[in-house]
Amino acid sequence: MVTPLFMETGVLIALILPFLLVPVVGFFGPRMGARVAWLALPAPAIGFAALLHGAISHGATPQVAEWQWIPYLGVNFSLLIDGFSLFFGLVVAGVGALVVFYSRHYLDDHYEHHGRFYAYLLLFMGAMQGTVFSNNLLLLFVFWELTGISSFLLIGFFHHESVTRTGARMALLVTASTGLLLLVGVVMLRQWGGTFDLSALLSMRADADVRDLGALFTGAMVCIALGAFGKSAQFPFHFWLPNAMAAPTPVSAYLHSATMVKLGVFLCGRMSPLFADMGWWTPLLASTGIVTMLLGAWFALLSHDLKSIFAYSTVSTLGMLIAYYGLAPGTGAKFDYLHIASHVFFKGCLFMVAGIVDHTTGTRDVRQLGGLGRRVPVLALICGLALASMASLPGTVGFISKEMLLKESGDWFVTQGVGARLLIAAVLLATVFKVALSLRVMRSVFLGTEPPALAANYHRPGWGVLFPPMVLAAAGVVFGVVPSLLSRLLYPLRVDGMHNFKAEALAFWHGWNLELGLSIGSMLLGVGLFMVLHRRGQWHTYHIPGILRFDLGFTRMVEALPGQAKWITRLSGADSPLNYLLIMMGFLTALTGGMMLWLLFGGHLQLAGLTSENFTVKSLRIFVGIIIILSVIGAMVLSRWTTRLVSLSAAGFLVTFYFVLYRAPDLALTQILVETVTLLAVLLLLGRFPESVEKSEIENARWNTRKTAAAVISTGVGLVVFGFIALCTLNPHPDKIGYYFLEASKPFGAGTNAVNVILVDFRGFDTLGEITVLVIAMLGCLGLLMRYKRTPEELKEGDMGEPGMGIHHEDSQP
Amino acid sequence: MNSHAPPSIILKFAAGGAFFIINLFAFALLLRGHNLPGGGFIAGLVTAISLLLANLAYGLEQTHRILRVDPARIAFVGLAVAVGSGLYRVFAGEPYLTQVNWHLHHVPVFGEVHVGTPLVFDIGVYLVVIGICCKILFILAQSTSGMRALVASEAEVYASPLEEPVEDGSREENPV
Repeated sequence: MVTPLFMETGVLIALILPFLLVPVVGFFGPRMGARVAWLALPAPAIGFAALLHGAISHGATPQVAEWQWIPYLGVNFSLLIDGFSLFFGLVVAGVGALVVFYSRHYLDDHYEHHGRFYAYLLLFMGAMQGTVFSNNLLLLFVFWELTGISSFLLIGFFHHESVTRTGARMALLVTASTGLLLLVGVVMLRQWGGTFDLSALLSMRADADVRDLGALFTGAMVCIALGAFGKSAQFPFHFWLPNAMAAPTPVSAYLHSATMVKLGVFLCGRMSPLFADMGWWTPLLASTGIVTMLLGAWFALLSHDLKSIFAYSTVSTLGMLIAYYGLAPGTGAKFDYLHIASHVFFKGCLFMVAGIVDHTTGTRDVRQLGGLGRRVPVLALICGLALASMASLPGTVGFISKEMLLKESGDWFVTQGVGARLLIAAVLLATVFKVALSLRVMRSVFLGTEPPALAANYHRPGWGVLFPPMVLAAAGVVFGVVPSLLSRLLYPLRVDGMHNFKAEALAFWHGWNLELGLSIGSMLLGVGLFMVLHRRGQWHTYHIPGILRFDLGFTRMVEALPGQAKWITRLSGADSPLNYLLIMMGFLTALTGGMMLWLLFGGHLQLAGLTSENFTVKSLRIFVGIIIILSVIGAMVLSRWTTRLVSLSAAGFLVTFYFVLYRAPDLALTQILVETVTLLAVLLLLGRFPESVEKSEIENARWNTRKTAAAVISTGVGLVVFGFIALCTLNPHPDKIGYYFLEASKPFGAGTNAVNVILVDFRGFDTLGEITVLVIAMLGCLGLLMRYKRTPEELKEGDMGEPGMGIHHEDSQP
Repeated sequence: MNSHAPPSIILKFAAGGAFFIINLFAFALLLRGHNLPGGGFIAGLVTAISLLLANLAYGLEQTHRILRVDPARIAFVGLAVAVGSGLYRVFAGEPYLTQVNWHLHHVPVFGEVHVGTPLVFDIGVYLVVIGICCKILFILAQSTSGMRALVASEAEVYASPLEEPVEDGSREENPV
């Protein structure tokens, strides 16, 4: 007897164990080297076992497990456990275990930072599990973006190469910005349904009529679909995936074939009960998916790097899956698990094979490879089986998947009409491309003559690295020959409202029918295409047309940003503080002053209370006031920098007199101390300038327009501040929060100094934020103080010595 | 300011005495902040000023020897202390930063003293302020006296590994 509790425990193990092991792996990484993989392996292995045990013994009855997190915002740590999430959880954990095992042997001791690598990998794994099991949509978004961040770290793992940095940056920018669209969509759904809870939204939607959903719901649908497109590399975001191939190969095998890029597909499937019967859902998904499918297959044919070929064919399959979900009717899809599982088996395997080829020969370029089959026949066998599955040859799970896809699309002719026909046509066309592609990879990597350069670099792959792809390839064949095995595994995972399939629907042989005929036809066409292209002997010169290289345009755009920022800075005058201060203060003065005048003449505020009593003459105050005025005048008319600074500070110090007078000792203390530190800092800064600058400024002092503007604006600032204070004191306050704090500080904060109680207790979080900002600002300052402006000569010849704030120290040279 | 001249002997002695008095004052400000004017921010400024005074009197190297650690580390530790101070009640199921106070009567010298998580939080603020003021002002002082702003080990920590100036035309002229 299995209690329902166990299911939750299993999911929690799979979800939390990777996060728990992150610090462990990070800590032992430097000590254990490549062997640290054995510490990382338990996370996916135990997680897989726990999920599998839960799924088998408990079945997949949907259930929600919830722990409160921020209840008043409706954000809870809430997990939706059903067949769909379990399926994805099993894929993530299962492939994760194989990938960790593969990495152990792939990233051997020639590489560095193993601890960091596995820590990122585990972080990603945990984020993936979190995304697929989230019931709260905001939680889903958090995990979604966490997968983006951890994949950025993984793609950029070899960050000493600039290609890697560009690829990682592109992946992060594309997936994170489309992820923000997902957030917008989630918030729109929240506005519509009043909750972030997915299961609640699903049941609410089941009761609602499609005609009363409104524009908000359509907006949510479009935003969420775009978020999914970004993650799953759909057109026009397809370009980031091939560029992310700069990642270490285990990462590509894991993230870019089996898991992360499937998230968009996952999201489309997850949301399909919400959106499936809306008018825009099917055309949006189907058109994007079909375009992506064909473009991906075509581009794969034009690529020459093994990983890039497989990346484009992944893009193509992802497009197929998205279109499939888009076209699936409201009653549910049938074989989505089958299509996803089949892709996981062969594509995960193919990426691992690409890594092994790279490792043993030193190159991944199919144009420089050949004859590897004689050296490593077992690798040729593994790759051949996986390629057969990709080309959907009979006897592989890829074949079953495509047969079922064609059959199901045929069933949709009545409801979906042209969309289903287009899908069939696109799938057949993509198959033609993929057959040609598979033949090409097989032919040019494993057959033919071996280039002499290869023999010199060759070293034998170990069995450890061959084992994981072998498992995946074998799974593809076993399930392909005995598909009932797979359907028995997948049937319990079906979800009501999302799927409608029956057990034992899969079989190896369906008899002679139209689908089989179409399959055979497309395969023959694929072989023909390969023969033609191969005979022509021009294949090695093909490349993707420049107009479709969106990645180049994107990189150019990103790299133009600093220049544009500079231009905008120049435009707003922000690069010269002298001008910028004038602009800023002038704008603020005009705005505030104009607003005050408008309110005064509009009768919203009054100066009626302003009488002669407000200007009572008290000798001491007048005396201090006069000194302040004198020192301010001194700051303006004196010539030496230091004396001007000191007289300006004197004014600042004297202001504290008024603070003391009006019983604000905290303010007075702070004012004195801040004034002191500022004075010292500016004195030190002035010391950085050579004396010649000061001398020349004094000699060339004359009245100019800037000084006139400064005088006008300063006077304006004074007047506005005076008016502001007068208006504030003379008009009634709407709400006197100060009194609340004065009364509450003793009972709630146990302190009599209300100012400090506010700072550390009532508004403690603000203070925490402020000191964090301070520390960040300090780090920024350090960076800036490092990066002084250089003259062109210095740039050419390297460092010339002391920093000089852009001014040469002629007089400081000995 | 001529920083190459030998510091005056009178300043040295005066600074030595003042250093302790000022810091005693800072300490008092920090402790009494919850009930009387004072608090971590002000106390931090006072201590930072005392260190700057030491810098003026003894020179940078000597001050670094007094401090022993990189001021930036003081700021980081302070931030950690402030963040950690709020965690105490989280384990009891209350929101982050729920403060707890104990009042101690009859403490020698200070009389009544308030201890609790607000004081720990304030100590965090105190350390952050000291660290930031000292780090930035010391670096300014360092570059004024003709040295590099950051020594090599610091540059390694704080500077970005890829330095590419964003000046007009410099890229085109010098493809590095």
